[in-house]
Amino acid sequence: MEFSGRRVLRVGATGLVAALAITGCSGQALEGNKDSGNGTTQVTLKVNVFGSSGLEELKSKYEAANPNVKIALNSGEYNAQHEDLQKKLVAGSGAADIAMVDEGFIVQFRSQADQFLNLNDKGAAGTFEAKYLPWKWKASQSTDGKQIGLGTDVGGLAMCYRTDLFKAADLPTDRESVGKLWPTWDAFIETGKKYTAKTGKKFVDSATNLFNPVLSQQPAGFYDETETLKMDGGPKAGFDVAMKAIDAGISANLAAFQPNWDQGFKKDQFAALPCPAWMLGHIQETAPDQKGKWDITAIPGGGGNWGGSWWTIPKQTKNADEAYKLVSWLVQPEQQIEIFKTVGNLPSQPELYKDPAVLDYKKEFFTDAPTGQIFAATAANLQPQYLGKKNGPTRVAVENVINRVGQGKLKSADAWAEAVKDAEKVAKSAK
Amino acid sequence: MALTDVRVARPEEPKHAPPNRAKFWLYRFDTKTVPYLLIAPFFLLFAVFGLFPIIFNGIVALRNWRLDDPTLTGWAGMANFSALVQDTDFWDALLNTFGIFILSTVPQLLLALMIANLLNRKLRGSTFWRIGILLPYVTPVAASTLVFAIFFSRDYGMANWLLSLVGFGQEQPLDWRASTWSSWLAIATMVNWKWIGYNALLYLSAMQAIPKDVYEAAAVDGAGPWKQLWAITVPMIQPVVLFTVILSTIGGLQLFSEPMLFDENPALANGGYDHEWRTIAQLIYKVGWRDLDLGYAAAMSWALFLIILIVAGVNYLATRRLGGGK
Repeated sequence: MEFSGRRVLRVGATGLVAALAITGCSGQALEGNKDSGNGTTQVTLKVNVFGSSGLEELKSKYEAANPNVKIALNSGEYNAQHEDLQKKLVAGSGAADIAMVDEGFIVQFRSQADQFLNLNDKGAAGTFEAKYLPWKWKASQSTDGKQIGLGTDVGGLAMCYRTDLFKAADLPTDRESVGKLWPTWDAFIETGKKYTAKTGKKFVDSATNLFNPVLSQQPAGFYDETETLKMDGGPKAGFDVAMKAIDAGISANLAAFQPNWDQGFKKDQFAALPCPAWMLGHIQETAPDQKGKWDITAIPGGGGNWGGSWWTIPKQTKNADEAYKLVSWLVQPEQQIEIFKTVGNLPSQPELYKDPAVLDYKKEFFTDAPTGQIFAATAANLQPQYLGKKNGPTRVAVENVINRVGQGKLKSADAWAEAVKDAEKVAKSAK
Repeated sequence: MALTDVRVARPEEPKHAPPNRAKFWLYRFDTKTVPYLLIAPFFLLFAVFGLFPIIFNGIVALRNWRLDDPTLTGWAGMANFSALVQDTDFWDALLNTFGIFILSTVPQLLLALMIANLLNRKLRGSTFWRIGILLPYVTPVAASTLVFAIFFSRDYGMANWLLSLVGFGQEQPLDWRASTWSSWLAIATMVNWKWIGYNALLYLSAMQAIPKDVYEAAAVDGAGPWKQLWAITVPMIQPVVLFTVILSTIGGLQLFSEPMLFDENPALANGGYDHEWRTIAQLIYKVGWRDLDLGYAAAMSWALFLIILIVAGVNYLATRRLGGGK
């Protein structure tokens, strides 16, 4: 075989020509900005959301007030949206101008704070810090004090229940008496047993949806401030309630937030559901024809926080100023109250808990439940947990064990040891 | 050499030399360079989307790259690979991958052979049947898997409805995702459904190249259809069998979409609450994008690459032996 220098050169040159031909057409990157001619720049803001953000309703209002801005809303599945954001941050491009980030992922993203716009550079600390629940403000802050997000909502806890199904099981239906049925979680499970014995149907949707709220009511979560796994504290309390519910046969064992779970709403497969404020929007959207069949009452075991989100602005954005303008508009009291009314998300600014617009609000879908009073009360006096860096994966590992018990593949007596083992494995992988 | 020398040296054409010379270079360019130019796009694309990722993956595999902890960076040496050897998750996933691979590849290729054999006979509307068996192949895998995921669901799935017709699981419906065997079976079903038709068509096209008189001679000698299939058809389409075995090996060991979307919550990349059906590809995704440990995920990718090379090599040798070994 001939392998002269000239030949190599020729092949190389050919490759170069072809490479130029390919890249030639991608010289101009796609730009969202166009000059509209009247001096202001036309901007399209891409906003990624999950669940019920309330932005769908507010979009047109903002666009009307700011004719140079178009909002392109991209709504997706909870986990998928966060993973997508993570990938785009690694890739260095493609992220939305504004990304909604939940409590379950905020630790992961705040440890990459240099990938996000430091909102304090835009003066966020001075304008907003005093207005927020102090822990909400801190949770989206990196260790060196960069602020990556402005809080939207917090997930104060309550219990949602189906009045029609309760009635059929000869249980009380008004929220006062229902709340009195379950001062403790044990009493809640006893009520569930009565319901299941009477109707032959399951009482709650899944054991993991008991584990999470009970865990969030405890003083400590999976990890302490030194990032050490503490399974015997909060997690054990939540796990025990979950096991009791499975053993009592009151759980429908539906995988939460998945299609079968949504089916479960429509097919009356369960009658009670722990409800953080953001859950209300999901119930309304999933089962719109159950209007007036739901009500909200106190949850056993007191206040807690489950979930809640922030608006973040990835540094890749070309429209940082417009994005910040939209975010600071969204967290204004007027918009926060509007979101609270339309989808139910509870604001994270305590001043609003005293606002008559919140306090006097009654939610028609939930039999005119005074959601403002119910959730504001739980949110104002809750003790937030420290969420470790590995909180998300640890939770998944423990939920997996709970689900295995629900499938009947693992005895509840052996489950705790298994949960500790799996959680330790996740904790150790943190290095 | 000699020819060009003579042409250039012709004394009676000095005036036309420059255009001729240009023509000569154009001709040389056309024959020597243009072929490379024409095949270059493929190699460039391969370099960008094939070779570069493989090499880059290899480099990443030797480094620490954790998205949740940007401070942990730099060369890791073989640390990722030695962690891999001790990681039970990896070996469990490997076992699952092979289990599903065997459950899907063996019936798939055998059934494809049978179907091709049937289609090779004189049938009414043969084109209709041939196109028909290819339909699963042109269905997007995500779409078909989502349908199968509902088909195999616990409470309202059609699979359980069919089982209940024959009196099974009326008390307690079968939870397809709870046991290893049932989940493997469900996923293998999806893979088989998709690929049988494709392989059958490949076999069929090879079968049609076999001369009819071979069969006639065999029939005269008293060989039945079964004997003909194994003694004539299979050895004579051996190159295509080899091709399908290699392709199925690669596809089977990289199985991702089906196990991923079979999960009740696909975004978690669990492969079952006890990881009953988590394949290697799924584990790589989980380690990379959920645990945010890109270095370790890259090491797993490379390990998978090597495993596929070995298994494909073994299958290649075995199939050559099977197809006559002459």
